[in-house]
Amino acid sequence: MKKFISFNLTASIFFVLGCSGPSGSPGISDNEILIGNVQDLSGPMKELGKLLPSGSNLYLDYVNNNGGVHGRNVRMLVEDAQYNPQKTVAVVKKLIEKEQIFCLYNVIGTSPVEAIRPLLEESGVPLIAPATQSGTMSDMSRPAARYIFHTDTGYDIQAGILTEYVIKLDPNAVIGVIYQDDDYGDNVLKGIEAIEYELNISVQKEAFQRGATEFSGQVMNLMKGGCTHVIIAGIVKEPIIIMKTAEAMGFSPQFLGISPTMDHRVALAAGSAGEGFIAANFAYLWDSDNEIPNLYRELCEKANVPVAMRGMYHYYGFTTAIILVEGLNRAGKNPTRKKLIRGMETFNNWNMAGTQPITYSRNDHAGAESVILVQVKDGVQQTISTWLE
Amino acid sequence: MKGRYADENIKWIPALIGLVILLPFMLKGITFSYKYYLYILNTIGIYLILTVGLDILSGYTGLISLGHAGFMAIGAYTSAILVDQVGLPFGFSLVLSPIIAGCFGFIIGFPALRVSGMYLGLTTMGFGFIIRRLIIALREWTQGSGGLAVSSPKLFGYTFNGDWANYFLVWTLAILSIVASRRMMKSKVGRAFMAIRDSEQAAEASGINLAQYKMMSFFISGVFAGLAGVLMAHTNHFISTDHFDNMLSIYFIIMVLVGGIGSIYGAVLGTIFIVLLENLIVPVIEEWLHVLFQIEAGDIESLIFGLIMFLFIIFQPTGLYGMWLKIRIYWKLFPFNPKQRFT
Amino acid sequence: MNSLFTEISQEIVSGIALGSIYALIALGFILIYKATEVVNFAQGELMMVGAYVNFFLIQSFTSSMGAPTFLTFILGLLGSIIFAVLFGWFLDLIINRPMKDEPVFSIIMATISIGIVLRAIVGLIAGPMSLVPKSPFGGAHIQLSGIIISILDLFIIGAAIALVAVFYYFFNKTRWGLAMQATSEDPIAAELMGVPVNKVYSLVWIFAAIVAAVSGVLLAPRAAILDTNMGFLGLKAFPAAVLGGFGSIPGAIVGGVILGIIETVSMGTLSFHFQWVKEINDIIVWIVLIAVLMIRPTGILGTEEIKKV
Repeated sequence: MKKFISFNLTASIFFVLGCSGPSGSPGISDNEILIGNVQDLSGPMKELGKLLPSGSNLYLDYVNNNGGVHGRNVRMLVEDAQYNPQKTVAVVKKLIEKEQIFCLYNVIGTSPVEAIRPLLEESGVPLIAPATQSGTMSDMSRPAARYIFHTDTGYDIQAGILTEYVIKLDPNAVIGVIYQDDDYGDNVLKGIEAIEYELNISVQKEAFQRGATEFSGQVMNLMKGGCTHVIIAGIVKEPIIIMKTAEAMGFSPQFLGISPTMDHRVALAAGSAGEGFIAANFAYLWDSDNEIPNLYRELCEKANVPVAMRGMYHYYGFTTAIILVEGLNRAGKNPTRKKLIRGMETFNNWNMAGTQPITYSRNDHAGAESVILVQVKDGVQQTISTWLE
Repeated sequence: MKGRYADENIKWIPALIGLVILLPFMLKGITFSYKYYLYILNTIGIYLILTVGLDILSGYTGLISLGHAGFMAIGAYTSAILVDQVGLPFGFSLVLSPIIAGCFGFIIGFPALRVSGMYLGLTTMGFGFIIRRLIIALREWTQGSGGLAVSSPKLFGYTFNGDWANYFLVWTLAILSIVASRRMMKSKVGRAFMAIRDSEQAAEASGINLAQYKMMSFFISGVFAGLAGVLMAHTNHFISTDHFDNMLSIYFIIMVLVGGIGSIYGAVLGTIFIVLLENLIVPVIEEWLHVLFQIEAGDIESLIFGLIMFLFIIFQPTGLYGMWLKIRIYWKLFPFNPKQRFT
Repeated sequence: MNSLFTEISQEIVSGIALGSIYALIALGFILIYKATEVVNFAQGELMMVGAYVNFFLIQSFTSSMGAPTFLTFILGLLGSIIFAVLFGWFLDLIINRPMKDEPVFSIIMATISIGIVLRAIVGLIAGPMSLVPKSPFGGAHIQLSGIIISILDLFIIGAAIALVAVFYYFFNKTRWGLAMQATSEDPIAAELMGVPVNKVYSLVWIFAAIVAAVSGVLLAPRAAILDTNMGFLGLKAFPAAVLGGFGSIPGAIVGGVILGIIETVSMGTLSFHFQWVKEINDIIVWIVLIAVLMIRPTGILGTEEIKKV
């Protein structure tokens, strides 16, 4: 009798605790895994806020139609934080406490992700593939670093790779970098300073403000400095204007870009000025002939994704979703957050996502340290290298 | 207590304070995700301290500020540096950091003596940008634009950890700020501020030292904003320059205006209204729209936010507090209501 | 030495072009402020709307008439101006009319919220993807003894000067302009003297919308990518309006050009020769602004307001 009562008591406590049930973690039900995604749907980066989740859902739908992850469908909730750290904290709190998500995925922006570290630490919710390439994401000395799995090559590493690539091609190259003066540019500069020290060269540095549309002063400085190679740490708009300005001034160095500049519209809008532009890339080109890009294009056709949306940013959502699903797969039949972290840490040179090979371990949450270079030839991007480390 | 507070109904105040104390327990009883709602309430509490200070400056003294997030940033970064790097106790920093922010207010007070109106608004806006740059330039302490992690508040040997403890810390200080600012505004200082707002020349003629009081207004407002910054830094555990961007300053002005400029309760109501609108009401409406019309989130949320704000301003330009006053008079005079007064 | 001179002149020319954009936006601010004492924080959004309307007009012309010619762009510009007239009138109807007797502060806030609404509506209609606008001049530019300026920039400078001149003439020499001045001085007295105050207000909002549309059309191809955040440029032009003096129409061009030159020169030559300038080159504009306001509290060309006691 006593046993029965106590059993009843525990049962009712579990009942009161409600949605999670005795065996699973929050966000895991019998047929569903709930994932939280924080994007910028109405702020300065709202284009990405549309593209990334759309790309992710393309793959998640594909997985769900083929039986899901261990029989569970993956469902993604997208919240809007307008690229603002304060709002990101609020919506992540909402996702964790109110929506009871299993894990976070693709939270956009460097300072927003930095801002939610205390929350991750407190709640133990893993964050897979933050949608920022800042090298600080995988800095294991920071709080909550063991919950964050960074899939991309850090901006600092990319800047180093590009510089090394240039020096290898032309030992006498004079390199200049033009960077956005915020945390993005900060991270790029960190990489540049490290490589300057390593190779014993000096790089000319020019800054611009977020949202700037006038670059003639900086371009002229680079010209004065006699730069033969210029690394652009901008997004989409900046490389276009910079290359056009340079063309008008008769200044024609080899332009290179950190991975946010790899969008195909750069080549499209810059026209003749953008010819020969080399961008670091995190994955095989979406229109190249590889296994995952082929799958991507096939699914795009099936789901009737508008042509304007197809491109590297959309593809980024797609590939990170592959990594997420693989991680969930490795978390086992009864996933918990701890099991997910352990599962993610078993990735070893895993290159099934159509990106660079990904490796995680207990002490290293930087998934990748390599990029592939693409160059604009006759207005079309073409791969010109293998994975560079 | 008579005389000065005669126009107010004081017996409501203990009841409201009781409600503030009971609210978290009620939330915990009602909902599983009470921590989220507590977080929103904490945000309200922090913003409220700032908007009360902003109301003293803009509503009572008539000096506009479009850079108040800058004062908040000073409070936040000063406290983060004092506690985590210098090693001062939090209690000490809680007093010192707002005063330092107030001193910056003092500095900004100087130009306020020369310029007025939109020119002052712009000067303060520039101040916000300069502070942001200053924080980035002092990267030795602030870690530049990457942002800074901050420790939890510790007071009398107790560490405030989690939303529950933060709630009581934030709201104690919020209520103290409201009480203090109301008392101040009913004192000689407050009357001097209002005299300056209504007519500088008349105020000067009646022996009010314009320079002194304007600077004092900026100082007081800076102290409140600094206090809000301290709380924000230590309850959020992370600050960056993106937290204190220019849009936030404009948001604060909006809060004060929606509440009803020139009354402390107005600022409080406005803050509560805007934060709740943004975090609770708009998402609910957006969800309905999604269920009914399959509309995707994103711009629709800001559309709803903007529209509600716009309609509110058009139909209720005196703000929430003005609305409340009308209702109160209506009930006082009931049933002898001259109809035309309430259209 | 000679090259330094060329460099600085090049930067000044680019700065004038950039400043002319600021001047165009600032002109919108000033027009509305001059007649109604309202600072229209939605000015940048009006410009964004103009740019979008122009983009879609050109797109539809192109799809019906084939490859864009110069005529297409002219038609696009005219179309967006016509739209701006209706739109400015409509904004006056929904913002200014119902709030005529309210404190200026409330109207300013109404303009902020209209800005939010406009950004959202354009975002909903045009979709989240940024657009790539076409320039009527391609990348054409001219070169004068080493100094380069694009034809588009020349047009921007020309438009800024022309619009400022037109409105300066209008305000000071025509009947309607005087009516506007009277209205801004004292609306009630003006109404008693027979000035149709409501019409004056509508007209001012229409003017501001036209200026915004022109600046949007010219700026969009210069910014390479068109998205709804274009409106935030309005906040950058706001200092230009204040620097020149908020009530003064020529002040727009003075303030705009000064800010534009400071920005390009500090980003260029100054930060090339002095490393520390890089640390402050986004606030150098604000430092100059505050310094000017300390010397002339109502901007460079502003007039002191005399207050009655």
